[in-house]
Order: sequence, then C-alpha cells, then structure tokens
Amino acid sequence: MDGGRFFGAFRACSGITDAVVLNHVPVGCNWGVGMFNNISSQPDIRHACTVVHEREIVFGGEEALKRALRLADKTYDAPLLVVISGDVPSIIGDDVQSVIDSLSLKKDVLWLEAAGYKGSMRNGYEDALLKLGSLMKECNVKKRSVNLIGLCPDDFKVHADLKEIKRIIEALGIGVNSTISMCSLEEFCAAPAAELNVVMGQGAKLAKYMKNEFGVPYIEVDYPYGLEGSMKFTEALCGNLGVEYGGEKYLDLEPFERTYLYLHEMYGTSVSVTGDFRCNPMADFLERELGFEIEVKSCFEEDRSSFEENVRNSNTMMLFGSSFERGLARELQIPLMRFVYPVFDQVCMCDYAPYAGFRGAAYLTESIINSVMGFDGKSRNNFSYQEMMSQ
Amino acid sequence: MRKFCVYGKGGIGKSTMVSNIAVALAENSQRVMVVGCDPKADSTRNIIGKRIPTILDAFREKGPGRMKLEEIVFVGFNGVYCAESGGPEPGIGCAGRGVITAAEMLARLGAFDDLDLDVLIYDVLGDVVCGGFAMPLRNGLVDDVYIVTTCDSMSIYAANNICRGIRRFAVRGEVLLGGIIYNGRSVVDEPSIIDGFAGRLGSQVVGRMPMNDLIPRSEIHHKTVIEYAPDSNIAETFKKIGKAIVENRKKAVPEPLSDEELNEINREVEDLFREKTLARQSA
Repeated sequence: MDGGRFFGAFRACSGITDAVVLNHVPVGCNWGVGMFNNISSQPDIRHACTVVHEREIVFGGEEALKRALRLADKTYDAPLLVVISGDVPSIIGDDVQSVIDSLSLKKDVLWLEAAGYKGSMRNGYEDALLKLGSLMKECNVKKRSVNLIGLCPDDFKVHADLKEIKRIIEALGIGVNSTISMCSLEEFCAAPAAELNVVMGQGAKLAKYMKNEFGVPYIEVDYPYGLEGSMKFTEALCGNLGVEYGGEKYLDLEPFERTYLYLHEMYGTSVSVTGDFRCNPMADFLERELGFEIEVKSCFEEDRSSFEENVRNSNTMMLFGSSFERGLARELQIPLMRFVYPVFDQVCMCDYAPYAGFRGAAYLTESIINSVMGFDGKSRNNFSYQEMMSQ
Repeated sequence: MRKFCVYGKGGIGKSTMVSNIAVALAENSQRVMVVGCDPKADSTRNIIGKRIPTILDAFREKGPGRMKLEEIVFVGFNGVYCAESGGPEPGIGCAGRGVITAAEMLARLGAFDDLDLDVLIYDVLGDVVCGGFAMPLRNGLVDDVYIVTTCDSMSIYAANNICRGIRRFAVRGEVLLGGIIYNGRSVVDEPSIIDGFAGRLGSQVVGRMPMNDLIPRSEIHHKTVIEYAPDSNIAETFKKIGKAIVENRKKAVPEPLSDEELNEINREVEDLFREKTLARQSA
C-alpha cells in the first residue's frame, strides 16, 4: 500500500529521533501517519499538526501554521522542527517559507513540500532525506564504519532487525556510524564520517548526494532475510570495506533441524508476497531457503492494482504482506504473515525476535510454521492446514 | 422556486444586471434573493446601499457551528434578500472553495428553505475558473444560466468559455443555458453580433441593455436604476429582462464555438468598428 509522497516524507523526517515533525495537513493525514508510527512506539509523540480545516482551505493555512510553529517551538524540547506541507497547502499555495521567515523561533526549522498526489511514498522518502541531507556536515572519517540507510522507525520488527544487523556488522569489526532513518539529529549530521553508506532498499538519492558532497561511497543491498540473504549482506559489506569474510560462522542450522519435519511438510507451499523493497528478498528467502512456490509477487513500486485479483486466481495458500492484506487473507481463508509496513494490527515489543539477519531467519521460519499450525478451519479449497502439519 | 445564475467576463455588468433584475422582480411581491459569489463581495452593494458582511467573514470569525442566518443574509431595497460569499485576501487561500463553503453554509442555515423564496439568483465572478466557481452549475442548485456579454471580442471569448463549463454539466442534465443578455456598453454596439453568437451556441438573446448614463449615475449613489430612476426607460428594460428570464422556457445545451468561429465574429466586429470610425471621420 503506497501512502503517497506525504507518508514517505513523514517517515524520513520522523526518523530524526529527537526532531519534531509538524505536519501542515488536515487532521486525517496526520492521524494516518501517526497511527502507523505509534502502534509499537506509543510514547513517541514527537509530531504535531496544524489541523488544516475548511477555514484554512478557504483563507489559506498560513495563520494556522504560524500558530502551530509558535506552539511547537514552545512545547517541545527538540533541536529541530521539520514542517511537512501536505496536499491541501500545496493545492492552495500556502507560502510556508515566508511564514517561517516571519517568525523568530528558538529552534531550527526545515520545511519540505510533500503533497501526497505528487509522487509515491518511496519518492517522498527519498526527497525528504535529500532535503535533510543539507544538515550534514563534513566530518573526519571513522575507519571501518558504515551508515545504514533505509530503515524507518515504523517498519515492522525494525528495532529487532536493527539490533540483529548491528550484531552481525559489529562482530565483523565494523561500526555503525548512523542509522538512517533512526538516529538523532547529531548522528544524522555526522553521517559523512562513515567509510561506506549501505543503502538497504531505499535512500539511494541521499547516498548519491553524500558521495558527491562528502565522498562517501555507497552500496545498495537487499534487506537481509534468511541465511543466504544475510550471508550476501555480510559479504557485500566485507568486500567493500576490505574486511575478511566470515559469514559462515554465524550459520546456525540447529533451529531448522529441530523442526525439520514441519519444514518438509511445508515444502512446495504456494504463497504470494507483496511489499516495499523487502518484497523481493522475502520472496527469495521463501523460495530458495524454505522451498515455497511463489504464486504472485508484487512490489509497491510496481502496479499493484491487479495483485488481489491475481492472488484470487492463484493457488495461494499463504500470504505475506502488510496489515492491508488482512481482508484478502480472510476472504481466501488463508494465513497472513505480516512483515512489511504498514502493520497496524500487531505490535513489536521484543527487540530480540527479528526477522532479518541470521537469527531473524529462525524467528521468521518459526513464525511461519506457527501461523500455519495455528490456523483453524479449512481454506477455500477445503484444505486443512492442521492436517498438513500433522501428517 | 425559480433559480438561475449569471456569469460573464469581469466588469461586463453582471452585478448591475442581477441587482436591477432582482429589485424589479421583487416589485411584484416576489420573494427574491441574490447570492454574490465573488471574493470582492460587491454584487449586492446597489441593493443594500453599502457592502455587507460576508458569509465567509462570519465563517472565519465564528466557525460553522455558531453562525446565524441573520448575520449573513440582509434585506435590501424592495425586500430583496442579499448574501455575499466573500473570500480570502487576494493571493492566498482558495476562493473557489470559498464559494462552495458559502453555499453550504447558506443551505445549512436554511436560507433557501426558511425564506420561502420565489426567485434565487447567483451572481458569479468572471469565469468558470475552477470547480468552486462552477458550483452553482452543479447538483441542481440552479435551473439555468444567463451570460452577460458585449460585442467586445474578449467578452465573447469569455462567454464562449463559460459555455464550455456549462456544457460539461448540461450534458449530464444538471443545468442548461437559458440565454445571453446583451449589454450595449461597448465601442461597437451592434446587437446583431450577439444574436448571431447566441444562435451559433444554439441559444437565444433574452434581453438587450442599451448603453445609458443612468446606470453609472445610479451606481455612484450605490443604488439600482429601479430605485434611482424608477420611471426611466432603462428601469423598464431591466424589468422586461427579469420577466423574460423568469418566464423563459427555451433552454439549451450550448455548443461552444471553435476558435475559427470566434475569429469570424471578431472580423465582423472589426468591420463594424472600421465603418464606425470612418463615419465619425467623415462627420
């Protein structure tokens, strides 16, 4: 599900963990981005809204923005205010810059236009990061350090995934300089200190900018799902930093051996996968490591209009996607594995149960087996999941 | 209730026409209301004698929940009810949305039902520039549309463009073109030009207003001609136009002219202009 440019911009900006995002939008847009963010980060109330209403549409939202800026400046203890101007102010042409210039605020203010109709969530994320990139400063290079680019604070399992990815990287003697978009303003500004930028699915525009501006090279890697995916990820980092490759030593096949019979029963299961840049690496894991058959695969960047219909017309026995696929899964009476943004009907409390990395491969497989074993009833084809697993 | 709206190029005389027609119709004990749909908010000034507070002023100051009908609808000469949508300051906000909001506020406060109107007239600014200014054309808010024009090429061009907007809604059966109102206040005053234009549109000319200095003189005093010079021929003309509109049954889906057809009309106007200049020089 692509939330449009506004959602992407919000995800990038809220990734500066000590900044305050002021959404210059109607309350519904603010609620939407906030809800997806706050499902598993409930104390995070670092976003405010001008609450554009009909009055602002007719008379312009500049007065409302002024009031909100003053209030946010006074209320929050934050080093940066980021104003994201959404659909309505863009349509009516609010002059956001002149409003900001007219005020003497204590905090630094950065603003960006991100009307939802002006592009995809991916574009909104990329362009917002680029705008934030103007805050970066030249730094002394920290040897054997990387920036991880592309993770968002409202991604499903992101805290656990990040912990596992950092564990793998740090075990190789590589330090994580900044994690974009999950770092403080200070860490973000110091990102040029890294020896290498590792773009994990999105954020390539910022990486290109940093290469040109600060000479930081970058690589683009797949999100590390599965054992193979994690080894490829590790290999790419080591290769680019001249670190000796030792991915195999992290391989732990014991958890998989413990459930060998279930994995055998599930071999060849027909599944469909949809999601953002995580879609392809997830499909690769399911196909190459678990032996599933991929019936339909649809990335957000591609045309998704026919995804549901294609799934209906397929032999899909299990669905991998976001909470938006819940309706389709219910309709087809098949299990749904949520792994990609937005997930708003499950929480992630534990940061030791990742889906990414070597450990994530085992947790992910465990979740898949459990969701199949625990699935009551029969599918539309009169297929019993419980019978399958008890054979 | 008879409901119609009046469009036309900016400054072409729409408000003059609407205010005089409204006051004229109200003379016959009809309950008439004029809604000005222009951020300048001067459509009803000649009926009331001054500018009135606008609907959007009240909306901004009080919000939709606390507005009262008597704060946005005022009674002018001959008992004509007047309301002005108003709008944002030039250069900010969205005036088109303002027109929609104003109409919604009037409906919400019961203006169209509680006032027991016989005639409702919308006076809409220059052109159908966006969906907001097309609002009176939609959802059955009016029965038909009247366009004021002179012989000037830009005025005819604007009228033709308005017909494009009308056609969009007319083919869906939401509104029809009632006709053209000819205003003779132009360098070339030749009603036959507009007769031809209206014919090509598939419509008619419902009234002709000759140039007359009583109109600007009455407006200097912020009055309609009906009030300022009630026994004048021009007052009588306004009454006839009002009657013609209210009784009009000939309505059409307009067929807007092509650029080439408009150029043909322009050439006719140019010929007339040349003849007039020559006649003046020879005199």
